[in-house]
Amino acid sequence: MKKSIRETIKDFLMKAMEKGVFDAVLIPMKVPAGDSYVYVLIKDKALVKDADPLPPVMSVQGGKAVSSVTRLGKGNLKIAAVMRPCEVRATNELEKNEQVNPENITLISIDCPGVLPLHDFTSNPEEGLAVFEQAEKKHDDTKMRPVCQICDNSSLIAGDLHIGTLGAAKDSVFLIAHSHKGQEVLQTLQLSSKGSLASWKKQVQEKVENKKKQRSMTHKQLKKQIGGLENLIDTFSRCLNCHNCMRACPVCFCRLCYFDSEKVKNVREDYMQQAQEKGTLRFPPDTTLFHIGRMTHMSVSCVSCGACEDACPVSLPVAQVFSMIADETQGLFEYLAGRNREEPLPMKTFKEDELHEMEDAHD
Amino acid sequence: MKIGVYICECGPNIAEKVDIDEVIKAVKPLDNVAVVERFKLLCSQDGKQFLADQIKKHELTHLVVAACSPREHQQTFMDVCEQEGLNPYLFQLANIREQCAWITDDKKEATKKAIRLTKAAVARVQYHTPLEKQQIESNPDVLVIGGGIAGIQASLQLAGPERTIHLVEKTSSLGGLSQYYEKTFPDMKPCASFIKGLIETVKNNPHINVYTNTEIEEILGFFGNFEITVKQTTTPEATAAFEVGAVVVATGATPFNPEHISKYGYQKIENVITALDFEQMNLSGKITLKNGKPPKSVAIIHCVGREEKGYCSQICCMYSIKFIRYLQKKVPSTKITNFYTDLCIPGKSQQHFYEQSLGNHVDFIRMSDLQITKQSDKIQITYSNEKDASKKLSVDMVILSPVLEPTQGLSSIIESTRISQGEKGFLTEEHEKIAPVSTSTEGVFIAGCSHGPKSIEETMSQAEAVTGHILTSLIPGQKIEPEVKVSHISESFCIGCKTCLNVCCYGAITFDDLKKVSVVNEVICRGCGNCVAACPSGAITLKHFTHNQVYHEVKEAVQ
Repeated sequence: MKKSIRETIKDFLMKAMEKGVFDAVLIPMKVPAGDSYVYVLIKDKALVKDADPLPPVMSVQGGKAVSSVTRLGKGNLKIAAVMRPCEVRATNELEKNEQVNPENITLISIDCPGVLPLHDFTSNPEEGLAVFEQAEKKHDDTKMRPVCQICDNSSLIAGDLHIGTLGAAKDSVFLIAHSHKGQEVLQTLQLSSKGSLASWKKQVQEKVENKKKQRSMTHKQLKKQIGGLENLIDTFSRCLNCHNCMRACPVCFCRLCYFDSEKVKNVREDYMQQAQEKGTLRFPPDTTLFHIGRMTHMSVSCVSCGACEDACPVSLPVAQVFSMIADETQGLFEYLAGRNREEPLPMKTFKEDELHEMEDAHD
Repeated sequence: MKIGVYICECGPNIAEKVDIDEVIKAVKPLDNVAVVERFKLLCSQDGKQFLADQIKKHELTHLVVAACSPREHQQTFMDVCEQEGLNPYLFQLANIREQCAWITDDKKEATKKAIRLTKAAVARVQYHTPLEKQQIESNPDVLVIGGGIAGIQASLQLAGPERTIHLVEKTSSLGGLSQYYEKTFPDMKPCASFIKGLIETVKNNPHINVYTNTEIEEILGFFGNFEITVKQTTTPEATAAFEVGAVVVATGATPFNPEHISKYGYQKIENVITALDFEQMNLSGKITLKNGKPPKSVAIIHCVGREEKGYCSQICCMYSIKFIRYLQKKVPSTKITNFYTDLCIPGKSQQHFYEQSLGNHVDFIRMSDLQITKQSDKIQITYSNEKDASKKLSVDMVILSPVLEPTQGLSSIIESTRISQGEKGFLTEEHEKIAPVSTSTEGVFIAGCSHGPKSIEETMSQAEAVTGHILTSLIPGQKIEPEVKVSHISESFCIGCKTCLNVCCYGAITFDDLKKVSVVNEVICRGCGNCVAACPSGAITLKHFTHNQVYHEVKEAVQ
C-alpha cells in the first residue's frame, strides 16, 4: 500500500473527528523507540497523522485493546477502532462474552496483507519495515505469519465500515459500509457510494479462492505432522508451560485460567503414583493437556490471528495447529468466529437436535 | 483433625454380607482417623447415644458412618452431630448397604467395595467445611390465579384467619367453564347451581380477597416472599400490590374453536353449534333450533380439533354422552346419533354411564371422516368408515364436541415465575408422576386444566393436592429454611461472561452491572450445580460439592 493511501485513511479519520462523528480513534501507532507498534486512543485529532492504520506487526491483538477500553464503565465516548479483519472478529466474539461494550464503538477494518512475525520485526525494525513495504507492493506474503499466509478472511467485513484497497484506483480506497452505523458515518461525511465495487469484489474473490486452496494443502501436511497422540506430544514437547499463548490470545478472557488454578495441581503422592505408572513424569506436568484443554475452551471462538504463535518463546506452531482445529470445531456448528455480532455462540446455545453424527453407535 | 469412623452392622443386613473387621483393619491406619468401631444398629436410640458419647469421648472434629443409604439416615446422624455441637456438614455417610451388601452375595467383593467406599468417605470428609442453615421469614398468604373450579376449591380449602387468599380472575365473574354445565357426568348431579353456591361461599369468606376483571402485571420474589402486582383490565392504570408466600396458577382452558375447519360448517351452517353453545342453551331451559322449534334429530360429533391439536381431551366423549341425557330429558323423542373416531370412557363409573345412555333413539356410529353440508332446511352429514366408503345422514341439529385448549395470554405469568410451557401450550409440572402439581419454581403450583385437559373430579384432586403442599410447607409463623448446599461465585474470578445466567433455570443468578460480575441469590438457589459446570473459568463453587471434595472422594474410590 502506498503511503498516500495511509494518508487517505488518516484524512478520513481526522475529518470525521472534526465533524464530531468520532470523539476519539483507537489506532496503531509506532512506539517512540521505533521497534514496535501499539494501539493508542487518540483524542487530539492532530495526532492522528502520526498513527499507522496498517502496521507491519500486531503486538497486542486489537480485540484485546477494544476490550481493555470498553469493558467497564459507560459508553458515551464515540470511538472509531481501526483494525485488521481478524481483530474485528475477535472484538465481536468478545462482545458476545460481555467483554466488550459496543456502545458508540465504530469498528473499521482494512484489507489485510498479513503481519510479520513480531520477533522478525523487533530484532531489526528498519529491515522489517522494508520487508513489509516490499511485501505490500508485490502482494507477496511469504514473510508474514504462517497463519496469515493461508488466511482466507483477509478482506472479510465483520464490522461497521471496511476500507477496500484491492482493485482500487491509484491513491484511492473503497469505503464500504456494512451496518447502519457505518452508513450513518458515510452520510454525515457526505461520502456517497460512487461507482461499483466490482473490481474489489473480483480481486477479493480471486485471493480467497487462492488462499482456500493453499489452506487445504497446508492443513493436509500439518495433519500428518501432528496426527496421533505421539506426534502431538512431540510437536508440543519443547513447551515451557509459560501460558503466554493464552495470555496473548484475544478470546482467552478468563481472569484465572483453569490451567493456572489449584484444580490442576496435585499432591506429591499422586505424582509418585503417576511416575510409577508411566516410568517418568515431566514437571510441571500436563503440557499437552494444557493445549488440548485450551482448544476445548476457546477453539469455537478462535479467529486465527496468530497472536499466540508470536508470543511463544520457543516458537511452537501454536497458531497453525489451533487455527486448523478451529476450522473443524467451528465447521461442526457451521460457525465462523466473529463474522457478525448477532450469531449466538455455539457453546452457549442448546439445540436438542444436533451433532447426532458424534454420538456412539449403539444399535 | 480427628475423624471418627463407625461401621453399622445393620443387624444381619451388613454384618452377614461384609467382613466388617476387614474394613476396620483397612481404615484404622489412615491419616487423621482417630477411632474406628463397629456397632449393631446405629440408627437406634442406643446407636445414636453411642455416637454422641463417642464424639464427646474422642473430641471428634469429623464423623464418618458406613451404613445404609443417605436417603434413609443421613438426617438422623446429622442431627446427632448437631446435638453434640459438631457442625452437621462435617459428616459423611458411606452407603455400604444398598450399594454394597444388598447387591451381591460374594462376601469378598462386597468387603473390597465396602473398604473403597469407606476410605472414599474418609478422604472426602477432610475437605468438608462447616455450613450454617439460614432461616427466613415467610408469608403464609396465597395468590390464586383463575377463579374457576380449581381456583375456587383451593381458595376455600386454604383460607383461614392466619392465611389470606388473593383470588384473581380476569373475566367479570368467578366460575370458569363449569358454571355453564347444568349437570356433570357421570353422576348427573346439578353443577351450575352448585358452582353458584360455591361462588357465594367464596364471596362471603372474610379471608378471601376476590379481584375480578383483574390480570397479573408482575410476580417478583421467591417462595415465601413473592411480591405481586395486579392490574384492572377495565382501567389498566388501576393497580394493586400485595405479598404472598405461594402462587397457584389455575388459569384453566377454553374449548377449541372449529370455525376455520370447513368440514364442520360452524358459523356457516345454521343449527351447527359447539358444546359450549349447547350447554348454555340447555342451562337456559329449552333446547330449540334457530327457528324456535325443538329438533327431531341431533348429531353429536366427537373429537373436534383432536387432529389439529394432537391430543385427546379426556372429557369430550363423556360430555357428549351427557348431552344424550340432556336431550332425552328435554326433547324425549329426538333421534340422537353420536359420531366418534375412538370412544374414551375411562374410570369405574364411565362405562356404565355410556351403556345406560344407549336406547331406541340412540345410535353410536364409528367413522374415519365426515363432511357437514347444508341441505335445504336440514343438515347433511356425509361420513365414511371401514364398512362404507360414503354414507349420508340427515339431521336437524349438529353439536360439535371440541377438545380443550389451554387459556392464552399467560406470558407475563410464565416469564415472571419462570415456569415452563409445554409444546401443546399447557403448563409443565415438575415431574409427571412424583410431582404433578408443583413446578420447577418453588412455591408456584398448577392445578386443573392449566396443567392439561381433565375432568372436574381430577381438577378437584389437583386443587386438594396443591392445598396439601401449601399447608405443609407454608406454615403461619414458621420460618423457611432454604437450601444450604448452594452455589457461590467468586467475585475476583468471575469475568462477567453471563454464561451461568443462561443456564440457571431458577432465576437464582443476577448480574451486578457495576462490578460486572454474576451473583447468586442463596435463598433461591437450589444447588443443582449447572452454573458450576457451565462456568468457563471455574469461578463458581457448589458448597459441599467443591472440586477438592469430589476429586478426593473419587480418587480414593477408584484407587
